[in-house]
Amino acid sequence: MAVPRAELEEFIIHEARLLDQRRFRDWMGLFAEDGTYWVPAVPDQKSPFDQASLFYDDRDLMRTRIERLEHPRIHVQTPPSRTAHLVGNAIVEEVDDARGEYVVGSTVIMVEYRDEQQRVFAGRQRHRLRREGTSFRIVQKRVDLINCDSAFEAMAVPI
Amino acid sequence: MRNGNAEHIAALIAPGRVHRDVYTDPDLFELEMVRIFGRAWLFVGHTSQVPQPGDYVTTELGRQPVVMVRHRDGKVHVLLNRCTHRGAKVVNERKGSAPRLVCCYHGWAFDTDGRLASVPVPEGCAADFDPAQFGLARAPRVGEYRGFVFASLSERGPSFEDHIGPMKGNIDDLVDRAPAGELALDVGMHRYVYAGNWKLQVENVLDSYHVPFGHASTVNKQGVQFARREGDSKGATVVETEKKQTAASWKDRKSYIVGNGHGWTSNTALDDGKRSSPAFDEYKRVLAEKVGAERAQQILTPHLHNSLIYPNVSIMGLNIHVRVIKPIAVDRTEVTIYPIRLVGAPDAMNFGNIRLLNVTHSAASFVQTDDLESFVRAQKGLRSTLTDWVDISRGLGDEEPDRELNATRGLATHEMVVRAQYKAWLGYMREAA
Repeated sequence: MAVPRAELEEFIIHEARLLDQRRFRDWMGLFAEDGTYWVPAVPDQKSPFDQASLFYDDRDLMRTRIERLEHPRIHVQTPPSRTAHLVGNAIVEEVDDARGEYVVGSTVIMVEYRDEQQRVFAGRQRHRLRREGTSFRIVQKRVDLINCDSAFEAMAVPI
Repeated sequence: MRNGNAEHIAALIAPGRVHRDVYTDPDLFELEMVRIFGRAWLFVGHTSQVPQPGDYVTTELGRQPVVMVRHRDGKVHVLLNRCTHRGAKVVNERKGSAPRLVCCYHGWAFDTDGRLASVPVPEGCAADFDPAQFGLARAPRVGEYRGFVFASLSERGPSFEDHIGPMKGNIDDLVDRAPAGELALDVGMHRYVYAGNWKLQVENVLDSYHVPFGHASTVNKQGVQFARREGDSKGATVVETEKKQTAASWKDRKSYIVGNGHGWTSNTALDDGKRSSPAFDEYKRVLAEKVGAERAQQILTPHLHNSLIYPNVSIMGLNIHVRVIKPIAVDRTEVTIYPIRLVGAPDAMNFGNIRLLNVTHSAASFVQTDDLESFVRAQKGLRSTLTDWVDISRGLGDEEPDRELNATRGLATHEMVVRAQYKAWLGYMREAA
């Protein structure tokens, strides 16, 4: 079966755009019921189960996170962040025809502006995507920030 | 700063208030580095971070780089991470393992007990060069309790026992939760920084007053916080939504002080009878097998919310972790949060703790980030010179002795603990080192 490279790439660009538009509910809707969002806290982290991560959200935690992002008294988002993602260098790294799953690796740069300060996040990301009808659902989105083990000022929005 | 003499320092603290300079004056900060961080017992690390000979971790005591390393004989040393030759920082990794600590500059090599082991081109050394005089400097005093390693950079001052003694029960409260009776700080760390003074974080760890408002975004429409422990279906009731006020159970929380700036807050009763999940149930079974059902029940009924061992470490009893506060500048602070592995507990239980700590205390968490915003805004507001004083007077005069606990008790939504911290601060600061 041909690898739908253009479709996959468009999907991860769409995913990043939802974050930039702060459409967090729609963003969560892209994840499969068993989907997870993972931002490791050390380079080449093997597992989210035996050590700390910056983010490791299943759908339940994602929902709690988004309810908080929508809360009028989330101080760390008063004023809210504005972000611009750039997703590029996409490569289809794995194809699992039997499961209808693909792993897409890409580079992500997110510039965030909030409260008179601008900062940059950058890293490699891997999306494990499952074919569903005419689109995909995210089984896992993993973002390996190049400075994942540094000390961060407060982060409120997903990368 | 005017001069830093005892009279000047004493004038910065008054009953129920603290002068803004305490948070904003760079000269006072320099003085704190000498008079507090240069002599107090500071938390360095936990022996589980260096399980094998040669294992090391690096950190800072105040701003001074140190390395905590285990020697071949099993002893853990706290050494100043500064080459005795030309001053370069010797160990540059956060953690690792090495048979010797070798300086990158000229290759001086130190043994894991700090002794100078070898010098390249030794024939060039001065005739009276004595390698025994060139070992890495060591923290003059080191103490350990149940794996928690503390050091003082001064030869003098209260003994380790005098300083830590009243807080041993708080350490026990956490360590006893491990079926094997020991903790391991080997499951990574969270690190965050904020543009504010270090004492803003210290004050905050025992502050129950800020929770209903400061953490409003973590409380649902029923006034209940999200579940923060493995096996809970929901968290504490923080707000009575109909009355739009802080919940009575929250207002009833207590805080305690025991001198030296230390203190703790009691826990809001959670529904411990209903606490259940496959991971928690298995953990409870394993713990009961080790210590008996009655003792297990006692251990699993939380008494402590958060404990502070002044000035640089707190132990969180709800989302269990160890939090280390490192001053960087008068308006910049770094905090390291170590999740805890309960040795002997099922992996799934330890994962439950790690998973929930990610969402409460990582740099991207639901809870800590609103605190960081408050610290940053406090630092910004304190630039205002038209108001000199910060108010910490809540509950002033309402303190009462707790003879059973050998402590002084107040309400956790009061500010007794903050006043106790400034009493300790004054004790360190008014006296030249």
